Amino acid sequence: MKNLFILAFSILGIGYLYNNLSDSKKRFLKELLRQVPYMIPRYFT
Amino acid sequence: MSDYDVIVIGAGCGGLSAGSQLARKGFKTLVIEQSDMVGGCCSTFEAQGYRFDLGASLIEDVEVINWCFERLGTTIYDEVELVECDPIYSVILKDGTRLTYPLSSEHTAREIGQIAPGDVMGWLKYGAYMQGFMDAALDGFFLAPGNTLVDMIKMFAKTPALLKYGPLFISSYQDIIEKYFKDPRIRESIGYQSFFGGLPPELCPGYIAMIPWSEHAGIYYSKGGMIGIPDALKRLGEKSGMQLKLNTEVKRLIVSNGRAAGVELQDGTEVTSDLVISDINAKTLYLDLIGEEHLPWLARIGIKSYEYSMATPMLYLGIDYEPPLAGHHTITTLPMDELNDFWWKDYKQGRFPVEQYSIISWSSGSSSGMAPDGHHVIVITLAPGAYRLEGKTWDQIKPELTQNIIDHLSKRCIPGLKDHVKYADFASPPDFEKRLKSPEGAIYALRQDLPSSLVFRPATRSKSIKKLYLVGASTHPGGGVPTTIASGMIAVDLIDKYE
Repeated sequence: MKNLFILAFSILGIGYLYNNLSDSKKRFLKELLRQVPYMIPRYFT
Repeated sequence: MSDYDVIVIGAGCGGLSAGSQLARKGFKTLVIEQSDMVGGCCSTFEAQGYRFDLGASLIEDVEVINWCFERLGTTIYDEVELVECDPIYSVILKDGTRLTYPLSSEHTAREIGQIAPGDVMGWLKYGAYMQGFMDAALDGFFLAPGNTLVDMIKMFAKTPALLKYGPLFISSYQDIIEKYFKDPRIRESIGYQSFFGGLPPELCPGYIAMIPWSEHAGIYYSKGGMIGIPDALKRLGEKSGMQLKLNTEVKRLIVSNGRAAGVELQDGTEVTSDLVISDINAKTLYLDLIGEEHLPWLARIGIKSYEYSMATPMLYLGIDYEPPLAGHHTITTLPMDELNDFWWKDYKQGRFPVEQYSIISWSSGSSSGMAPDGHHVIVITLAPGAYRLEGKTWDQIKPELTQNIIDHLSKRCIPGLKDHVKYADFASPPDFEKRLKSPEGAIYALRQDLPSSLVFRPATRSKSIKKLYLVGASTHPGGGVPTTIASGMIAVDLIDKYE
């Protein structure tokens, strides 16, 4: 129960922080996150 | 017994850097180049008596380039006639404000102070921070291999100061500029350099924000054209026995038992070697010249996932008057938010508006002999251009676009230009693809943000094919003249260590 509470609180916190970012910073983050899944295969090139 | 010790595919700055150094070390070296001249993006061509720089229009971080010349037993100052550019550039903002930044950082502070007194302190703080980063990067970054996590740990262990600059790797260029400068005109005047990293200010990694400061350490033009630098590397390499074949295209890299063993040329000739160095786009190398079947599955996914860097159309003009320009470089620019909007609403949608950012290089103002007497050359690097346009082809819009750009520049910053053009040539992204064999005309080979940099960029020492090394913009430390020359030095160091 305590862990669930911490998880929910963290998600809300991240959501709050994200919402307060400028559009520019949001796009920077989105572009980084979009490419994160490729970072492991790219390491092997 | 192989025909050569080393075959280098591509005579760009990275290929010539590696080839010339290995020849000097006694390796029997062959450099194969598909075009009729060396240098790749850093070259100069002639048309109707005018000499035009194909892409690169100046160099900075000359110290890094000089390290390579020192390895060749000389210095860049002995081999290439360099002209120092002062002022660094003149910037024309959207509202018509003109700022001219001199080489001296103190004088630049004065120039900033005239427009935005409150940003002088920001300039000094930014300068102090970036100088620290530059010193750390010169010491630990440029020549450090970025192959593995161990290399990264060694890089930071050798130069712990780099850790202090971690925020530059997870922030955007725009974040850094906005942190130090408050006046929108000052921000606008140094916002466009994010495109030197191949991305708009909001997407470009923060460490590229070092450029508006590092330029004050000196920017140089090679007298007679930018080809002077690769030509010098070629000359020094040939003095040590390096062989160069121009107009020769490689069709396939020969892979035998997982090892690079030479190349097959377009005419079917096979040339064997103990090592192969590639100075071409890594996607072309792995997917076309080698073939997916030779790659481990994870590497295959990785290679396919890379995005090409932006392409920049160029306009080459021969003119019969002296253009009223303040220095080697004049930049017409826009506020950073509009540069970002351009990226999403125009570039990504395949549109190419006339009113946008451009770099005007007046090379004949820095070096005589670039044009006939009484004439001059200017080369205009335009904003990023999509490879595929929306509903049209580049060839269809070229004539009208050329005229519109000339008219626009005549009004905005080069009065009289439209009445003095004697030669005009527009090079589109497909033209660059054809000329340089650079897919989609990409100027820095692959996109250069954090997920495509350092250990996430194709490795200098291939992880998929033994005896294969990569140099040039596709590998660490990325695109640009000093960085590609550095990539050649990194490859040679790794060959020294492993072969």
